[in-house]
Amino acid sequence: MTVDFGYGMTLVALVLAIYGAAAAAVGARAGRPALVESAQHAALGVFVLITACFALLTYAFLTFDFSVRYVATNTNLGTPFYYRITGVWGALEGSIILWSWMLGLYTLILILRHRDSARELYPWALATMLGILAFFLLVMTIAAPPFQRQVPVAADGRGLNPLLEDTGMITHPVALYLGFTGFTVPFAFAMAALITGRVGDTWLVLTRRWTIVAWYFLSLGLLIGGWWSYHVLGWGGYWAWDPVENAAFMPWLTATAFLHSVMIQERRRMLKLWNIVLVILTFGLTLFGTFLTRSGVIASVHAFTQGSIGALFLGFLALVMLTALGLVAWRWEALRSQGELDSVVSRESAFLLNNVLLIAAAFTVFFGTVFPLLSEAVRGVKVSVGAPFFNQVNVPLFLSLIFLMGVGPLIAWRRASLENLKRNFLWPVVLGVAAAAAAFVLGVRSALAVLTLATTVFVGTTIGVDFVRATRARLRVGEALIPAVGGLLRRHNRRYGGFVVHLGILLIALGVTGSHAWSVQTEATLRRGETAELAGYRFRFDDLTAVEESNHFKVVGAFTVSNGRVLDVLRPAKKFYPQEQSPIAYVDYRLGLKEDVYLVLGDFARDGTQATIKLQVNRLVSWIWIGGVVLTLGALLAILPERRTA
Amino acid sequence: MSRLGLRLLTSLFFLSAAVSPVTAQPAAPVSEETVHEVAAQLRCVVCQNLSVDDSPSEMASQMRAIIRDRLAAGERPAEVRQYFVDRYGEWILLSPPRRGFNLLVWLVPLAAVGVGLVTVAVLVRRWTRHLRDHRPTRVDVDPAMSERIRREVDSGP
Repeated sequence: MTVDFGYGMTLVALVLAIYGAAAAAVGARAGRPALVESAQHAALGVFVLITACFALLTYAFLTFDFSVRYVATNTNLGTPFYYRITGVWGALEGSIILWSWMLGLYTLILILRHRDSARELYPWALATMLGILAFFLLVMTIAAPPFQRQVPVAADGRGLNPLLEDTGMITHPVALYLGFTGFTVPFAFAMAALITGRVGDTWLVLTRRWTIVAWYFLSLGLLIGGWWSYHVLGWGGYWAWDPVENAAFMPWLTATAFLHSVMIQERRRMLKLWNIVLVILTFGLTLFGTFLTRSGVIASVHAFTQGSIGALFLGFLALVMLTALGLVAWRWEALRSQGELDSVVSRESAFLLNNVLLIAAAFTVFFGTVFPLLSEAVRGVKVSVGAPFFNQVNVPLFLSLIFLMGVGPLIAWRRASLENLKRNFLWPVVLGVAAAAAAFVLGVRSALAVLTLATTVFVGTTIGVDFVRATRARLRVGEALIPAVGGLLRRHNRRYGGFVVHLGILLIALGVTGSHAWSVQTEATLRRGETAELAGYRFRFDDLTAVEESNHFKVVGAFTVSNGRVLDVLRPAKKFYPQEQSPIAYVDYRLGLKEDVYLVLGDFARDGTQATIKLQVNRLVSWIWIGGVVLTLGALLAILPERRTA
Repeated sequence: MSRLGLRLLTSLFFLSAAVSPVTAQPAAPVSEETVHEVAAQLRCVVCQNLSVDDSPSEMASQMRAIIRDRLAAGERPAEVRQYFVDRYGEWILLSPPRRGFNLLVWLVPLAAVGVGLVTVAVLVRRWTRHLRDHRPTRVDVDPAMSERIRREVDSGP
């Protein structure tokens, strides 16, 4: 019953989406507003139907309806209430529903916002959105149907992947998918611009904020993913250069490039072609990411299944890219713009370099991620491309980017004079060098750490100098301090939003550097009452207890942590799920601004007298999360509607 | 799935074969630093994309023990790495060795950066051509000023 009803709704939604896409396109071509309006109704219908599918599936989860195969594979009678809700998108089929639902939501917002404001571009953008939505509905009907019968009906389900039993399960995928799907809107407008030949600035102005919104969610998704990895996966890290992390990181890099190069087009009417290519590339990479995640071509912690879905995605990706690039070729003449710079030393040049580095980083990540496939195809030898490679290749790129982050915003547009350079960069350079010297004197010997510190201080000072100067100018005309700062942030929200994002990146860079350069770890096998030591901390093994939970069995160790005085009792555990072959580590930690104490329970004696633990003191990791919060606040500031004084 | 299962079995076999003879000897003190260094370059065979150093799995813990023991027995880090490569293939290394076909993965990104930088240099040159072409004929500028402009233009990055 549930299955038939759900599958039926999916089919109707698919037909409606195809109809809507066609109606919008024909309406736009023939200039018939009635057809476009009909497409709008179709879009609304699609959204309502997907919402209903989503609700139905959630209901099936909540009521343990094991006649639905997806429910039976991803939940069991022991799954707690909260995870029965988040379990809805815990695997492939449900995540595609979530994806479609968000796409439908974005389509509705697009209709509401742009129905009247962008008459020429809007119908084509709507057609593109509905076309892409139709593809995802097609996936939901043929390749990964969430509504599929389980015969015979199981008495109990298999259960959710234990790693997904975490509160992050509601925020991480939702934010990430809002980011991924959000890039569809700029892409739709880029297509509309290419089809109509209106490749001027209208589409860009329309999509700039959409891009920041999608970028905001993608950043949030990546950061929460890092936090999840840190506190759930139990390996003491936040970024593993896993193919799927890379898949989400690549569109982030290209979107970041776009957010910068878009400013050159706004100011100088240059780079039209480049900007449209970046938008297409970003959207293409989100599809590629889904392909990587879902097809299982590349082994990954996130890979759910291996099936026909990979071919489907690859086909669609090829179709999208060929169409988009074909359109670009068709409009080549209109997109070419005669560029003109007034000086080599200018903000334009800094932004061009920024784009080169970001795209190079994206390409590096891409090439490294697919290289194992290439190696297997060419040599027949399996190789791994992991963290050591990516760190080595990307660190110089990112460090240069951070350096540019200090130069770009303060160097003058058009032409930088010596005065301009001296005025803006004297103090930052002095302080940067001083920071490097201070670090060296204090005993920091890692060249990379010293360099990062110097660059970070340099960039931080450039932001500070600019902000202080702008605030002073306002104070001079008689404003009070608080309104002056507030007005500055509000009136130039894009500029200062960008600065706040940069500050966030600096903090993240410090955290990453610190955790790589100064973290320490060791392993110890302790008998009850014995202690191990690491970096001034003492860990005493107190006891080991077994606990029966609703859907698993848990062995919890208790370890007293002290550094002179008792700080905390940490309780890392191992969880044994009946459906999993190996136990899941459950870490415990004590976070701090300077360092985190991080404990993983390893092997233990059955009688509870002995346990092996992995002890880590991770330095400065908290600054990554703080930087993440700063970064997202900056992005929010930049999203606010502009309110400039004339 | 079956491939993974097979790999699991083989690794278990190799591990059990490997652990027993070496652990029998009393271990000389080994620098934990070196153990981390070696472990960070090896892939945990039961996880995806985690190094032996990072992985919380038991298999990784056993692999760390092997590294520790082999170092204690006097092997150099490169030899320990080779020991794992001999058993699992290149796949065990998280960063492909820089030779032969694998050079590509190192060189192609480098080439990409190079191409990007050259492209930008060419574009910036083209876009500033008008400055160089018009320099002598334009308005009569004070020579000191034009000299300064030239200096700034030429001293670009």
